[in-house]
Amino acid sequence: MPAQQTDYFQLIYRLFLGLISAGFLWIIWPYISNVVLILVFAFLFTTVLLSSVDALEKRIHSRGLSVFIVTIGVLAGIGIFIGSFISQLSAQASDFSSRVDPTTLTTEFKNIGERFITALPGFAANMIPTGGDFASTLTGFVETVVNNLASLAGAVGNFVLNAAMILIFTIILLAEYHGFRKSLVGYISNKYFEIGLRLIFNIEKSVSSYLRGQFLSAASVALMSVIGLGILNLSGANLTLIVFIGIIAGLANLIPLVGPFVGMVPAILIAFMNNIGNEVALSHLLFGAVPSPFFILDIILMFIIVQQIEGNLITPTLVGKSVGLHPMIVMIALIIGGTILGPLGMLFAVPATGVLKVIGQEVAFVRRNAHLL
Amino acid sequence: MKNALWPNLFRGWDRTESETVYTLKQVPVFKDFSKKEFTELEKLVHHRTYASGDFVFKNRAPGEGMYVIMKGTIKITIGTRSGNEQVLAELEEGDFFGELALFDNEPRSANALAIADSKLIGFFTADLLSLQDRNPQMTNKILMNLGSMLGERLRNTNNLLFEAQTKSNDDAGTAD
Repeated sequence: MPAQQTDYFQLIYRLFLGLISAGFLWIIWPYISNVVLILVFAFLFTTVLLSSVDALEKRIHSRGLSVFIVTIGVLAGIGIFIGSFISQLSAQASDFSSRVDPTTLTTEFKNIGERFITALPGFAANMIPTGGDFASTLTGFVETVVNNLASLAGAVGNFVLNAAMILIFTIILLAEYHGFRKSLVGYISNKYFEIGLRLIFNIEKSVSSYLRGQFLSAASVALMSVIGLGILNLSGANLTLIVFIGIIAGLANLIPLVGPFVGMVPAILIAFMNNIGNEVALSHLLFGAVPSPFFILDIILMFIIVQQIEGNLITPTLVGKSVGLHPMIVMIALIIGGTILGPLGMLFAVPATGVLKVIGQEVAFVRRNAHLL
Repeated sequence: MKNALWPNLFRGWDRTESETVYTLKQVPVFKDFSKKEFTELEKLVHHRTYASGDFVFKNRAPGEGMYVIMKGTIKITIGTRSGNEQVLAELEEGDFFGELALFDNEPRSANALAIADSKLIGFFTADLLSLQDRNPQMTNKILMNLGSMLGERLRNTNNLLFEAQTKSNDDAGTAD
């Protein structure tokens, strides 16, 4: 059967080529990973902002001006958010340092540590080393941070450079997006031309619907968190910066599974900073029964409720199954993304898997209809 | 030395319309387009080159959009080349085909085969949808033109059907 032999050799040849390509990519990956990451970010930002630019272009009939206005608007929004957040946080920190002197802080840490250990069951309390206390741990942490300031400055510089590159690439992509897509499509052979167009269109649709869904759910988490924290304030939680905490919780929600827990941290820290030295807050009871020092359990419960409302009510109604991935696949994708790229990998894991799913579906479609091409 | 300032300053002022715009102007789908709209459309469409004997698309293949012939000849057929092939039309420069794919997700209803080296302009559903977001007036014009073309074709088909039925009734009457 000569035809079968040809297919067999072709398969081995393709496998060989695939392995060489994978090996080559493995070798050059450390050198190109940064650029790839910048391009991926720029593409994602472009996908998010594209509909705004297109909508503005519809009104003012100028692509360049639309890109300029949208970019300036987004940068101004981010600048105002970060600027006011930093100024309010520094005001909060100076208020905290003027209220609490180091001795009181050390005593408070010791006090909380002892209460925490006594509240634990015997076997768990025995697992905590008795030599140190929270205060010395905190001092050690501060020393480590100071020692690492140089590398921190380097990291900040690198971040600023990458952010600038992402901004430039995003502006170029936004301005020339339709032209770039046309050029990309131009490289597809006649046989696969229409199917290639269809693939690109479906990937765009899948990614943009996923991102729109994510931003809608992030906005709903932010809004509900602000309302929830406001309600906690009514019961004496004494929380400040609740709008910022809400926005951070919403942004953290973009990382599936892990994000919601990250979103709780700023709220707990603020509750701790604002209530330290306050005996009433220290001995607060959740539902009048469960000890919840500094309203920490109240905050955790509030975020769990917000997550449940968002996950079971808002997202299915507003967003639907935007990517349509099985939760098990989402979890595996998150583990792989987290292992390769850390938190960034977790952020991109689900949309990347969504894109792979669309590509898989289209490849299956092409295989089914190969005789027609 | 010749001063390049003036030629550079007024560069493009004497520009005549491109071959693409000239071809697109002959297509009734883009009737009533302004010069600016043709320029916008030119940025959107795709240029494809086919050698003689190449299929542009095959019957029952997934369809994504329409083609306008810039140069060459395209044969529209149904059936296969081996046996029961029926030629529906031979299209020349300025003609267009495949426009039904802009409306629905149905597969192609015929084969399109290049019978001479051909240059085609492709306009696809993805382009139409992207244009809808940015310039709905242009999209409306395209859809209205397509609608009126399809309406005209339906009227012609109805007339043909009516004539065929009348002829068949007359034949039946004569036979009686």
